[in-house]
Amino acid sequence: LVNPAAPSPHFTAAPAGERPQSRYASWAGNIGELCGLVESLAVVAAEIGEPPPTDAEWYGQLFGKLRPQVTRDPVLVAAVCGGTNTGKSLITNVLVGGEISRSVPEAARTRCAVASLPRGLAGGIDLAALFPGFTPRPWTDGDDALGGTEQGDDLLFWREDPSGRQPERLILVDTPDVDGTLRENWQRAEAVRNACDVIIALLTQQKYNDAAVRDFFAAAAAANKSLIVVFNMVSWPAQRQRIAGWLSTFNAETGAAPLAVYAVPHDFARAEAGAIEFFQLPELTGGVADAAAGPVDLAAALSGVDFDRIKLRAMEGAYRVVLDSKSGMGGWLDRLEASSRQWQEARGVLAEEARVRVELPAAPRELVWSEIWDWLEPKRSRLDLGLTRVYRMAGSGVAWLGRRVGIGRTAEERQDDFAAIELAALKHALAEFIDRLDAACRRNPRLGTLLGNTLVQGDRASWYADLERRHAALPMVSDDYRTFVRGELDRFSRENPKFLQLLLTGLSLGSVARPCVTVGLFLAGSVAVPAAAAGHGLATLVHTAGDWVVCAAAPLAGEGVLGLTMAGLKPLIERLFAGWSAERSRALTETLHDVVLGDRLEEIDRRAGAAARPEVARARRLLHECGLEFSR
Amino acid sequence: MSESLPVVSQPQPPTGFDDAGFDELVTGLERWSGSLPDWPPGRRVRAEWDEVAARLDRARRELSRVLVVGVIGGTGTGKSTLVNALAGRDVSPAGDVARPTTVAPVVVVARDVDCSWLSLDGVGARVVTSDAPAVANIVLVDCPDPDTQGVDREATGPGPSTRPSDTNHNRDLLEKILPACDVLLLVATAQKYRSWSVASEVAAFAPGRPLLFVQTHASRDPDIRDDWRRELGRQGIDAPAVHRVDGLEAARRAAAGLEPEAGFAGLVRAIDEELVGRAARRVRRTGALDLAGWFLRQSGAQLDPYRQPVVDLTAGIAAERARLEGLMGKAVAGKLKASRPAWQRIMQDELVERWHGGPFAMFLHAIAALGSMWPRLRAGGLFGRVLSGQGLPHVAAGDGAWQSIEEVGLAEADVEQTRSILVGLAARAAIGEPMTGRVRLDESAVQSSVGTLMERTGNWLVGGVDRLVAARRDRVDSSLVRTACELVFSGVILAVLGRAAWNFFYGHLWMGRPVGGLGFLQEALVWIVLLGLLLRWVVFARIRAGLDQDIAALVTRLPGARLVDPFLQDFSTASAEVAAFLEVGDTLARRHEALASRVEEGRSSLGRLKGPGG
Repeated sequence: LVNPAAPSPHFTAAPAGERPQSRYASWAGNIGELCGLVESLAVVAAEIGEPPPTDAEWYGQLFGKLRPQVTRDPVLVAAVCGGTNTGKSLITNVLVGGEISRSVPEAARTRCAVASLPRGLAGGIDLAALFPGFTPRPWTDGDDALGGTEQGDDLLFWREDPSGRQPERLILVDTPDVDGTLRENWQRAEAVRNACDVIIALLTQQKYNDAAVRDFFAAAAAANKSLIVVFNMVSWPAQRQRIAGWLSTFNAETGAAPLAVYAVPHDFARAEAGAIEFFQLPELTGGVADAAAGPVDLAAALSGVDFDRIKLRAMEGAYRVVLDSKSGMGGWLDRLEASSRQWQEARGVLAEEARVRVELPAAPRELVWSEIWDWLEPKRSRLDLGLTRVYRMAGSGVAWLGRRVGIGRTAEERQDDFAAIELAALKHALAEFIDRLDAACRRNPRLGTLLGNTLVQGDRASWYADLERRHAALPMVSDDYRTFVRGELDRFSRENPKFLQLLLTGLSLGSVARPCVTVGLFLAGSVAVPAAAAGHGLATLVHTAGDWVVCAAAPLAGEGVLGLTMAGLKPLIERLFAGWSAERSRALTETLHDVVLGDRLEEIDRRAGAAARPEVARARRLLHECGLEFSR
Repeated sequence: MSESLPVVSQPQPPTGFDDAGFDELVTGLERWSGSLPDWPPGRRVRAEWDEVAARLDRARRELSRVLVVGVIGGTGTGKSTLVNALAGRDVSPAGDVARPTTVAPVVVVARDVDCSWLSLDGVGARVVTSDAPAVANIVLVDCPDPDTQGVDREATGPGPSTRPSDTNHNRDLLEKILPACDVLLLVATAQKYRSWSVASEVAAFAPGRPLLFVQTHASRDPDIRDDWRRELGRQGIDAPAVHRVDGLEAARRAAAGLEPEAGFAGLVRAIDEELVGRAARRVRRTGALDLAGWFLRQSGAQLDPYRQPVVDLTAGIAAERARLEGLMGKAVAGKLKASRPAWQRIMQDELVERWHGGPFAMFLHAIAALGSMWPRLRAGGLFGRVLSGQGLPHVAAGDGAWQSIEEVGLAEADVEQTRSILVGLAARAAIGEPMTGRVRLDESAVQSSVGTLMERTGNWLVGGVDRLVAARRDRVDSSLVRTACELVFSGVILAVLGRAAWNFFYGHLWMGRPVGGLGFLQEALVWIVLLGLLLRWVVFARIRAGLDQDIAALVTRLPGARLVDPFLQDFSTASAEVAAFLEVGDTLARRHEALASRVEEGRSSLGRLKGPGG
């Protein structure tokens, strides 16, 4: 009743050459390393806003085919694929020789992949690794494929062929549809497609030219899978002549070159009984037509193919997809680098825009002075103590009088006034900072994706509250600052023997510092801020740079100022005031860093540096090396 | 094998349709959708409305025109075959030679129907006439398929670099034709009723368009109508009836002039009953109502994410207003309490004005006159000027504007903080420029806001101080105190004078003792002045009593004066506008619901989009 498969040129055995297994083994190291690199770079890619590579063809081939199959004993995976209600399950059942996947009149009912394994293979194979993304389950009955409940899992039911007729290294898989309204089914079918070597493409006259069907098989053809085309539900033999036209459209659209083409006549009764017939059309694959030929046994034909050759072809095809300079992994690296460059631009915009000059009020002189006096205390034997005391007493007398008539303020009141003005200046700066960040986000869409949400969803009231809290908690003079002052003075006095005399001149002149601090993000070449402001665990990404104006307050200071400048005392006093002001602005930088921006700055830095990561260079080198094998 | 499911009930006349109500709804939607063009979500609503409005307008203008029925479905499902069967002859090429078969749409009209109004420009449609009764009162359009045109794939995608299908624009064509259709006749087979590409086109065009469903290939395929209806339900489409026909057989019988088979006859009957004559008007009306409902659902979904942010913004404005008013209240209370000399002067002026006559009054006048000999310090600032009865200060330009409100407790940084916080909250509700201003007000805005604030604050202070003084005027006017003071003061003067008189007349003249000199009188004068000052202090203390509490009470009334509003005006206006926009949208949706529930019972066997798919 059934003729043996007419051999097609593709079905003949390959000339004896090197064993493919040894080639796979030579690939294994590189593929393993590529996978590792992709996995670590995928995290970076996701961070910098690149769409995940998981949908890309090359990713499917690398992780779905090459990695699981390169190190294992080669098995040949053949999958039955096609649109909804084209009879995939029916064909699978016929190939397997039993109802492994229930065939029902309703469309898109097969929701799970079903695999038929040759007898004895189940124990020796890791199906979860061979079909990445699927959860293998032992098969119980034909309804398994229908997915029973609304299972979201990607299940793969497996069964060992009870008859023992299935060739020992062949796995047959029934897949869900590729064009229905449930997109999960498409993805499952694509996952099986990536893993397989041979695809039994099930077409009908209604669907052979549907875009969704075409795209599915075009990807398979691009990866050099071997295609066996089966036209189902054909009005046989009336439509036999039509099939050549359908197939040439299909081939032109997909780039496929099928190994063989079969037609299955439309016969409701036979389909019900699971006894459909396959008629080969050898004239469509380079053979000679035989109108009188009877039906053939597709299962037998399938077991007659040259496994090693088809496997190698599919493996090489998958490798080529990965190595393709445009659509392969290299293209992905290109996009990743381009993306990273955009982040570098974003970083530049931020450094340029997010920079605010904080006009702090003039520091209360006595704060800095009293630190200097304290330092001087042990050294004062050499000074005219009496004179100093007179000055101090006279000064305090005048101050008392001033307070009595209501025009003078106590030191505490002055500090309160100062703190209020300072807080206003810091708040003003914060408002401007937020405004500038908003503007930067509008200018650079990348920044918008990262900071926009922070700026819009962030609780701004709490930012200001945080700034107020930090400012209130900031001591007028911190221990850090004290240490800093002492260190500076010690150093200066060592370098300038006449220092004390000079210092006194400077002090009596009453230098006044008007601090002006610039707070910015990613400030390149920012002035190294005195120890007092740096090194508080603050990230180095929020910078404080200062320009300080020190000038003499007393009118009779002409000569003194000259002395100051000549002796290099001016820079010292500048630094002393600068350190203090920089510390004052710490409240703002800390609020900006800890509360407003969080770890976003580090993230921007990381993203901007993504392209420079060693993994990218290594991946490029590997791709180049692997490519050499195929270009030879 | 071919039959029609007996779900079709006899269609009801459109008793419930409220034409006037619907017109009102459309007018309301028109006005509403354009009412907030500065708000981006409002603008999107408007853009959507512009498309919907054109369709609604056409539906109303063309109420009595025949319906245009678009036949859509996947390639190979037999659309053209069905059209040929309905037209009674081969008007559209059909067959299995190559997919897709129909490239140019075919428009089938009855011989006497003028279809010049049907605008199908640029789609290359071919118009054919037919005498078949099925298409006597409709226009039938055989549409291209949606599933053979490729998606816009990248040049680097898999497959050959050029494909024959690159020139296939069937889906684009379809999407140009469907807007002209009033009703969609959806054709599917067992292989294609769950097709994703068809479903996505239907989802795009079903709003406001009733649907007819036909399963073709009845002689070859199993009956999948129940499952199809489930699938349609999942897509949000209610399908009361699905017809099942064999197109080839129907076309053959039609061409041969034979009686149609049952399924096809059912379809023709449905067309006749549901799409012709009075039914056509009903289809248009309910389609229009459905379209309006779909638009409202879409806008609702569009606007829903902004409801909470608008509420948050309103709350944020209130919180920030309270914060600024708190700062102001503190400063105002402090300043008023600290202006002791100014209060003293006000009360003295009151006393001097009201107390005349008696010796104590004369004493007070004298003290006041002496005090006025010192030139009054020119009172500066708002408080000084208000308390000394001078006019309100002029607001300085530029930075001076900010300095002038510092005395009422507000600094530029506080206002900026408020505006910065509100800009953030507003951004969450997609509110931004031009509805609201920047964080930092520009110079003219500062000038006018500060000016308004100072003017309001000044007027409020003047009023408040007047009330405080008025409350004390009664105490000034109290005749008891005044009489007591006068009695005590004049008593002492009388006693001194009496004693002096006794000494002079009795002691000196009568008894011949020597005159004691002026010493006694000088001492007495000192004591009289001291007593006068004591009494003055007592009187002032009585008048001043409770001033601090009254000032505190005055400050608690500060929020009612809306003094800081000028700085928040743009935000409060914007949030109110958006809230009103949302509210009006809700009202319109409720009105639509009421209209829809009235016509619910008049529904036919036509399918319709009920809501989003599950």
